[in-house]
Amino acid sequence: MNVLVSRLVQAVMVAVLIGTATFVMMRSLPGDAAWRIAAGRYGYDRVDAASADAVRAELGLDGPTLPALVQWLGDLARFDFGTSLVTGQPVIKEIVHQLGATVSLALAALLLSLLIGPPLGILAGLRPGGALDRALLVASTGLKAAPQFLIALVLIVLVAVQLRWLPAAGHGEPRHFILPALTLALGLSAVNARIARDAMARIADMPYWRFAQWKGLSERQTLLRHGLRGVSVPLVTYLGLQFVTLVEGVIIVESIFGWPGIGHALVHAIFSRDVPMVQGTALMLGLGFVLINAAIDLAVNRLDPRTAS
Amino acid sequence: MSLLKASNITVSQDGTPILEPVSLRLEAGEPLVILGETGSGKSLLAQAIMGTLPRDLAARGQVALGDHLLDAARPVGFRALWGRQIAVLPQEPWLSLDPLMRVQSQVTEAHRLVNGKPVAEARTQASADLDRLGLTGAGHRYPHELSGGMAQRVAIAAARAGGARIVIADEPTKGLDAARRDDVADLLLAELARGGGLLVITHDLALARRIGGQMIVLRKGQVVEEGPTAAVMAAPSQAYTRELIAADPENWKPRTKQAAGSAVLTATGLAAGRGGTRLFSDVSFDLSEGEILGVTGPSGCGKSTLGGVVLGLIDAADGVVNRADGLKATAFQKLYQDPVAAFPRHRTLARTLDDVARRHGQALGRIEELLPRLGLSPALLSRRPDAVSGGELQRLALLRLLLVRPSLIFADEPTSRLDPITQKQVIDLLCETARSEGCAIMLVSHDPALVSRTADKMLSLGTTAAKVDVTAPRVVGALR
Amino acid sequence: MTATTDLPLRRPSVLRARGVGTTLVLALLALALLGGLIVPGDPYAQSLTKALAGPEATAPLGYDHLGRSVFHRLIHALRLSPLIALAAVAMAGATGLILGTLAAARGGWVERALVILTDALLALPGLLLVLIVLAMVPGTALGFWVGLTLVLWIEFFRLARAATRETLASPAVQASQLLGFGPVYIFRTHIWPEIAPMMLTAAAFGTATAIMSIAALGFVHTGMRAPTPELGLMMVELLPYWREAPLALLSPVIATFALLLGLTLLAGSRET
Repeated sequence: MNVLVSRLVQAVMVAVLIGTATFVMMRSLPGDAAWRIAAGRYGYDRVDAASADAVRAELGLDGPTLPALVQWLGDLARFDFGTSLVTGQPVIKEIVHQLGATVSLALAALLLSLLIGPPLGILAGLRPGGALDRALLVASTGLKAAPQFLIALVLIVLVAVQLRWLPAAGHGEPRHFILPALTLALGLSAVNARIARDAMARIADMPYWRFAQWKGLSERQTLLRHGLRGVSVPLVTYLGLQFVTLVEGVIIVESIFGWPGIGHALVHAIFSRDVPMVQGTALMLGLGFVLINAAIDLAVNRLDPRTAS
Repeated sequence: MSLLKASNITVSQDGTPILEPVSLRLEAGEPLVILGETGSGKSLLAQAIMGTLPRDLAARGQVALGDHLLDAARPVGFRALWGRQIAVLPQEPWLSLDPLMRVQSQVTEAHRLVNGKPVAEARTQASADLDRLGLTGAGHRYPHELSGGMAQRVAIAAARAGGARIVIADEPTKGLDAARRDDVADLLLAELARGGGLLVITHDLALARRIGGQMIVLRKGQVVEEGPTAAVMAAPSQAYTRELIAADPENWKPRTKQAAGSAVLTATGLAAGRGGTRLFSDVSFDLSEGEILGVTGPSGCGKSTLGGVVLGLIDAADGVVNRADGLKATAFQKLYQDPVAAFPRHRTLARTLDDVARRHGQALGRIEELLPRLGLSPALLSRRPDAVSGGELQRLALLRLLLVRPSLIFADEPTSRLDPITQKQVIDLLCETARSEGCAIMLVSHDPALVSRTADKMLSLGTTAAKVDVTAPRVVGALR
Repeated sequence: MTATTDLPLRRPSVLRARGVGTTLVLALLALALLGGLIVPGDPYAQSLTKALAGPEATAPLGYDHLGRSVFHRLIHALRLSPLIALAAVAMAGATGLILGTLAAARGGWVERALVILTDALLALPGLLLVLIVLAMVPGTALGFWVGLTLVLWIEFFRLARAATRETLASPAVQASQLLGFGPVYIFRTHIWPEIAPMMLTAAAFGTATAIMSIAALGFVHTGMRAPTPELGLMMVELLPYWREAPLALLSPVIATFALLLGLTLLAGSRET
């Protein structure tokens, strides 16, 4: 319960931070912000001085900063995200549309990374210092050092340009998933392979691992009954932190591969100073992080009875 | 025919022998105790017999187990015997149970996977095992919800579920209170009574005495003495065994009472708690120069908390601690259970001690003067705390306190991690300090024998009621 | 069964990795600082006749699509982002260290407020914060410095606070307090030796993160603007010409990877 309360506090703080940051952004925009907002709402042809004044009064754009900020955050608290300055559509509608694309890409990447990383990590952790362990250390260090855009670049050059196996950009068909998902998954699996490896090596060094074998269990039985669950606890815990990597990756990877998701929209919104969209997308990513981590807290409580008490 | 016969077992590391040839026989119904201090090679011997030595150690010799004849140099061959012939009871069983699995499943799986019983039968058998060991209804708990003694019984049930007749127990009393010691011995003897053999590896003389049977005494990888346990303990033939047995607090000569000096501290009606639960209340005592107050009680009864209150680190919930007038702010000092954790770990001991001497206006010569008195070599000072043995570091910790010229030392289980002979040295030095420095000492220990032979008066804290009596030492039995 | 099986493999391999990391970073630093002295040249000078031409004595890595020397653009890029990164890490490290130790030592509402703030900042992806700051602050380099500082100080704060808390609760500190030592002595002898190596590791990781962010945003056209020579920007500019001038694209790719790998190895093994 305590966990959920602190996550709630975190969520509120995230909203306040993003709200304040975008408010400051709005105020520091070059040119007449009211005019741009009015144009966003009513369309560029129908905007006139009167509607701009109305917006200015409503948002308190000319007035003192503090009441305007309160007004701005008040809108946020009522889940009123406004309309996009570029398309004129309600921000909510735009985001819901993009969220689907992003979530499907992120899930594909996560799944792929879990198929690659943890099995290798567990095998390496069972024989610390062995050939596989050393090879994995080299591979994961290299991958961890390589930023996602670099992995994307190498994949594009190799798979799309040189070999012409897969398209470099696009959306809609399953094969469009492969390169962006693989880009994200390689970075993630470098990390979760290390986590699984370290957890496995630690568990295999625990008295309870040895005792399970002394009871007469075989290597395989010991791993299945006393290893996997223990490895899953840090893996799930780190998923929460990996989510940040995933979101950062989504911002970059969607832009590179032209994937019509939230990250792509965020970059565009910032580029075109579409403040309501920036606020909406940033809020979605920040609150998504808090929500996922709250779920992970609960999952870890279930997996590990020691944390529940 | 012997259950188990090991001949000429040796262990070496990189070609250097660390265990000289040892032979032993384990007979049905008669326990065998292997006694030795840390580093005596007793655990290595057990590991060589079980085939569980770490990879960088090589064993030689032969182990005959029923019809099986095994080569100690090939530990792979032992694997098939684990659980089926040999049940190993690990040190600190609460760390040997999977923390993420309910305890009954940990017994059931051995019945099912090792003994090949069907699931339902394995489950019934496991719960019958737990019932027999007095753990009825505890099967659904997780290991962290068990007490140390309960975890030990679960471990026995799990270790023997595969059908093993021979039980090997490695330091079964490690980390347990003195009060639990006899329970462990009784438990092991009860397992022996069900048929089979029992091999106990320990440094604990009280446990060895209680187990009885045959005994092998090891020191620095060599057999010092062997024979029936009762005979060896009553009349040890070797100097080392004599010293070892004399170091057992049960065999200490009670300390002669000193004439008390002027008062150092008066505590009246102290009460304190931790995390909302009251640990003790209405504790009153006074202490004078040169006096030793023994503080006993089971773990978790608030002994360390009492120390915190006396030292002014924790606020008492009730009551007052009155320091005698004219004492300086640093007059009350503490000696820690784990001395390594009580020193700055990145500095040499010389620097730490110099800092303390300078802070308290002592000539640096005082350190050199104290070193021989505490039996310490000056060469130790150039090392860091983790490069010095536990006994030496505890004496260095005492030296550090003496630089402050304290009026009271709160010694919190200062010897619980030391071997018996080292323990006796440190306690003797503490008593000597009380006499020569005129310093009052509060000596906390879970070992009633140690306290009753050392202290001038005694304070016993209990878990249930805040029972407190400040009296002259009484017989140990009356304290429980 | 207390025979310790300390893995003999671990320590030397960590030291070796650190050695390799230091060498890589120093080599790239030397290239960035001294490269211009050995082969003088201008990173902005265009000569369209030489567009995508191969290496020659005055341009050891050939020319880009506008006929600019890739070598000189690269050494400029290798000065720019590390400089911003180091400035951000220095600022973030100082802020995090001071606030972290203060929070742990003081406790109370100061600590609670800082923890709530950092928890919330932690929920925001670093790149997002940098992007928002970039949109507000005039001047891209300044924007990166402010944004990255804002992102990086959290890690320093968390490390410093955790280590200080743990150290302050240790028997060693209690003993020093009983022996009459004050807070300055305790910081010097107990806290700083615990924190210092962690700070160094975090600084190396932070520098890598910062360089990575600058390059990543450059690569998606939201960071440094053309014609500034910047690693990510160079790559995205040269990507369309991969077939004609592979060396021109590979140069910034390899340099970036080597720099980041060097910093990661320098940081040593740490739980990610």
